[in-house]
Amino acid sequence: MSGEAYEILALLMRYVFALIGALIVFRSFIWLRKDARAYRKEMKTLPDAGLVGEIVDLDTGKAQPLPREGVIGSARECDIRVKGDGVLRRHARFEFTEGKGLKIIPARRGLTLLNGVEMRGPGYALHGTQLGIGVHALRVRLFAGLNVPTPVAYPEPDSILDAVDEEIPWTNITVDNSYYLPEERSADAVPFGGQTQDYDGQYDDDGQMTWQYAYSLEDLRQEQAARQWIDAQQDEEEPEPPKRRRRRNRRE
Amino acid sequence: MSEKKTKRAHEPGRNTLLAMMVFFFLAFFLLALKDGQWQSFALSVVVPAIIYIGTAGISHLFPSDRLLLSLTNFLCALGVLVLYRLSPSRGMTQAFNYGIGVGCMMLCAMMVRYIRSWKWLTALIMVGSIGLLALPLVFGRETNGAKNWFYIGGYSVQPSEIVKLALLVCVSYLLSQRKVFLSLLFAGACLLMLMLQKDLGTALLYFGVTFILLYTATGSVPLMIGGVAGGAAAAVLGYQMFAHVKKRVAIWLNPWADSEGAGYQIVQSLIAIVNGGAWGVGLGLGNAQVIPEYYNDFIFSVILHEFGLVFGLVVLCMYLFIIIRGVMIARRCRTVFHALLATGCASLIALQTFVIIGGNIKLIPLTGVTLPFISYGGTSMLCSLCVIGLLQGVASRNKAGVKEDRELAMAGGDAR
Repeated sequence: MSGEAYEILALLMRYVFALIGALIVFRSFIWLRKDARAYRKEMKTLPDAGLVGEIVDLDTGKAQPLPREGVIGSARECDIRVKGDGVLRRHARFEFTEGKGLKIIPARRGLTLLNGVEMRGPGYALHGTQLGIGVHALRVRLFAGLNVPTPVAYPEPDSILDAVDEEIPWTNITVDNSYYLPEERSADAVPFGGQTQDYDGQYDDDGQMTWQYAYSLEDLRQEQAARQWIDAQQDEEEPEPPKRRRRRNRRE
Repeated sequence: MSEKKTKRAHEPGRNTLLAMMVFFFLAFFLLALKDGQWQSFALSVVVPAIIYIGTAGISHLFPSDRLLLSLTNFLCALGVLVLYRLSPSRGMTQAFNYGIGVGCMMLCAMMVRYIRSWKWLTALIMVGSIGLLALPLVFGRETNGAKNWFYIGGYSVQPSEIVKLALLVCVSYLLSQRKVFLSLLFAGACLLMLMLQKDLGTALLYFGVTFILLYTATGSVPLMIGGVAGGAAAAVLGYQMFAHVKKRVAIWLNPWADSEGAGYQIVQSLIAIVNGGAWGVGLGLGNAQVIPEYYNDFIFSVILHEFGLVFGLVVLCMYLFIIIRGVMIARRCRTVFHALLATGCASLIALQTFVIIGGNIKLIPLTGVTLPFISYGGTSMLCSLCVIGLLQGVASRNKAGVKEDRELAMAGGDAR
């Protein structure tokens, strides 16, 4: 092609290139917007997207959505926010692990209980596990369909104190959630001790709470009494030498 | 049959992809008409085909983000086009780098998609990165005031480009584990090595990315104030310590004072941009080779010269869309690590683009960083595509997460 002809063609093509470029940008912008809109729409149909369950405050009955990972504490930026005595600003971290459950990593300071056992390192919570954060008792609820081990369901004892006489399950540090997961609650059980709760939408037609693993406040009181009894029993025992105790804790 | 047709017609971005392919077919065909070379004719078919395979093919093989893929492929192909027009040998090398880069991108995407625990890998990467950054100090040669290259078997390698990826992964992981001090220690060690190499442009990028990640992860205002104060102190110190930094600032303030000497680069760049005007001088009609480093630092000036200001804005919009897309991917993440990784990738591309384009148009002092996806250079191209690979991996995990949520919703989704 001659130089002049090429020059004319190249000068004309400048506009074509700019036009195609502008078209690509416009189409990309539309694509970006459409995708954002489609995602928002999809999220509306999946209100639990990105969540693995919820954490219920057993004192108030309020439920907070549980993301895959985050922090429990009293600070505003925490994913699960609980306020009260003994709750640190960043009390514990948690992350959901496929096939294992919700890993709880407590802060060095502060008291964190997993099914009534003080946590000295990371532990796993399953569906129904009770967490103690400061003065708060929280219940972990994980969605059905998640890949986590099924908690071993023990028959519900007549009372916790009876169970304590036979065995003291909460001294078992390996947290497998094996303690006290009632399969069924009696028909006349009143959720949360009959108190008015914010936890709505969880009752069936007969007014029975559909969430079968909820503890009533009475259960909690019994559990606290049992724990106090165990503490009293332990205090009566002769204290072990510090080194030996430390070793035993580590082994546990 | 008709259903299949409808499905195809509604495939997202089909028309955009078609427009990109037409653009490069016309551009390479125009160059082929000028030089009559068979390579140009071949490229007019091969480059659109690569764009199609690189976008539609990959998204069929791997659940990835098509928009991000198509925009990245457009910018990479634009780099090949501009380099081929100015220097055919460099253009062919860049096309080769582009092909290798697509492979690396897929590798990075798969790593992010399938690696579950980054704990030990991060520790390994951290040690490796410091070792890699030390290599130019021992074996490197000083170029343009910086000693940030070393040579292996005739190939030049810039470790600071590779360590960019390591910085993204390690700082994101450490911050997601709330190990703020360790992440600052690692970033600080990398910055120190770069200061020793006198590679201040890359150091600026490292600092910026770490700063953004730190703010995203902690939201701590005192930490940010400390970071800004530290950055300002380092900038003043760098200015006082390094002669070439002083020189670059002086050139930036008044390039015309020494337009035939130190300011020649920036003056030629500004002249080329002005000559291009709104619509450019026309593909193949420009004379952008007069700009020193036209294929590397000043490639955006070349684009403005030959394609014009309007097309320059189109390129800027594409970078902007890539960054917005990165932020969107970060917002959709299920885990803190992936959210931070995506934020880091988007901020790295944003900072790098701003620093080099700002330098080209005399908005800020010129630093020796490359324009992502377009500038000539194997390491730069590979690393830019790897950053996109990391983003693709995160996007793929997000898609898997949504799929899982859908399945959970179908399964009942409530408590057992």
